[in-house]
Amino acid sequence: MKVLGLRLALLALLVAAWEIAGRTMNPLLGVPPSAVLPALRDLLLLRSYPDLPASLALTVREIATAYALAVAAGVGCGFMLGMHRLVGRVWGPMLAALYAVPAVVWYPSLMLFFGLDAASKIAFGFLLGFFPVALAVLAGIRQVNPQLVVVARAYGAGTVTVFRRVMLPAMMFTLVGGLRTGLALCVIGVIVGEILGSKAGMGALINHAYGLLRTGDYVALVLVTLILVVGSDVLASTVERRARRWTE
Amino acid sequence: MSSRRELIAVEGVTKRYLTSSGSVEALHDVSLSVDEGAFCTLIGPSGCGKSTLLSMLGGLVAPDQGRLLVEGQPVSGPDPRRVATVFQEAGLFPWRTALQNVEFGLELQGVPAERRRRTASELLGPLGLSGFAEKYPRELSGGMKQRVAIGRALALDAKILLMDEPFGALDEQTRVLMGEWLLDIWRRTQKTVIFVTHSLHEALFLSTRVAVMTARPGRIKSAFDLPMDYPRSMESPEMVALRAKLWSEIREESLRAMR
Repeated sequence: MKVLGLRLALLALLVAAWEIAGRTMNPLLGVPPSAVLPALRDLLLLRSYPDLPASLALTVREIATAYALAVAAGVGCGFMLGMHRLVGRVWGPMLAALYAVPAVVWYPSLMLFFGLDAASKIAFGFLLGFFPVALAVLAGIRQVNPQLVVVARAYGAGTVTVFRRVMLPAMMFTLVGGLRTGLALCVIGVIVGEILGSKAGMGALINHAYGLLRTGDYVALVLVTLILVVGSDVLASTVERRARRWTE
Repeated sequence: MSSRRELIAVEGVTKRYLTSSGSVEALHDVSLSVDEGAFCTLIGPSGCGKSTLLSMLGGLVAPDQGRLLVEGQPVSGPDPRRVATVFQEAGLFPWRTALQNVEFGLELQGVPAERRRRTASELLGPLGLSGFAEKYPRELSGGMKQRVAIGRALALDAKILLMDEPFGALDEQTRVLMGEWLLDIWRRTQKTVIFVTHSLHEALFLSTRVAVMTARPGRIKSAFDLPMDYPRSMESPEMVALRAKLWSEIREESLRAMR
């Protein structure tokens, strides 16, 4: 309760500082909250951007697709590399090296391959989300105490039971962390992709408002996108808690 | 100890391991017979294959030659209904409470939740863990963890209890007390125990039968029965003589192992 109060106070302080700073700046560059609120109202009432719901839906669809692909590929690759020593030793360094490359350098070629529509955004979101998932699975497998696998086998566990009762719970912490990071990066990938070049989606709207120096609309759009990002993380943490309960 | 029924038979078992520096013979032509209800200790220098032999009895490792029989049937894999194992490091599942760890084997056997909970709870008392059912392993001391691990093995109600240096990681005092406690459990449950140790004291204090193993490749150097009653006095002339004999045999092998 005390923490919540302090958080709200901090928020109020920041908004007040923003208001003061915004009023002293060039109105084309700085927008005080008092000017954002009308813009936000116009946005939510679909006056400024009537295609907001469609854009939002498109972005959400792109994120969901990119994330589903990233999780499937990341979990698959992670287990393949983690369970087979040789495969892991051959591919491991390559995976780590690719992860170290700033992913945005791939984006121009992704646009060439996949075009300006959703596919290139999904590909970019996937590219960003894949690595943390795959690497978390790899790290998770390494964390499993082999002694516990021996214990489980001695007590009659077969391969499936060892996986479900020993490996998954032992990996859960790392795995869920990777899944969460992966989602956050998928969201970033899709939105950055839209901003860098697209015809639709939240990123395209942001780009449009910013390009026309409609700064109030721009900030309002960013706020809506922020809710999307925070919402996805809340969803991820809910899943995280469920997963923890499931392993017990 | 009126019954002399053979429960475990190890017949001419040989095992080699492949390492980066070539093939190493861990066990060479090992034969051993253990009667039902016995407390049989395997003692010998480090790396003599005691643990390998135990893993084989537990069905975790297969022999290259020879065979292992439990109740006349060859061991072909883990059989938790007949053989329960306690490992050197307790090997508790950190995401399970003490009670849930004790329940583990029963859970795998598909025992209904309520029944396995009751079985596990009843075990905690004699384990000295009554107030610790809901504690996680990280909240328990080393001796307590090992007792939970023993509880997990006892819950299976298997005839045979394999113990791989179960008290090896504990301090001397705890170790002696755990030995006394284990004797009590063993005499009450009438299990057949195969106990691997480095400790002369444990071997003499606990066992009805001691098998001394040689340095690698492990063979049975000698095996003898200890008919003395419990609790045993380590100061009796009989015991002092036995201790000297056992030590000279182990010393010889340990010196060879060090070379």
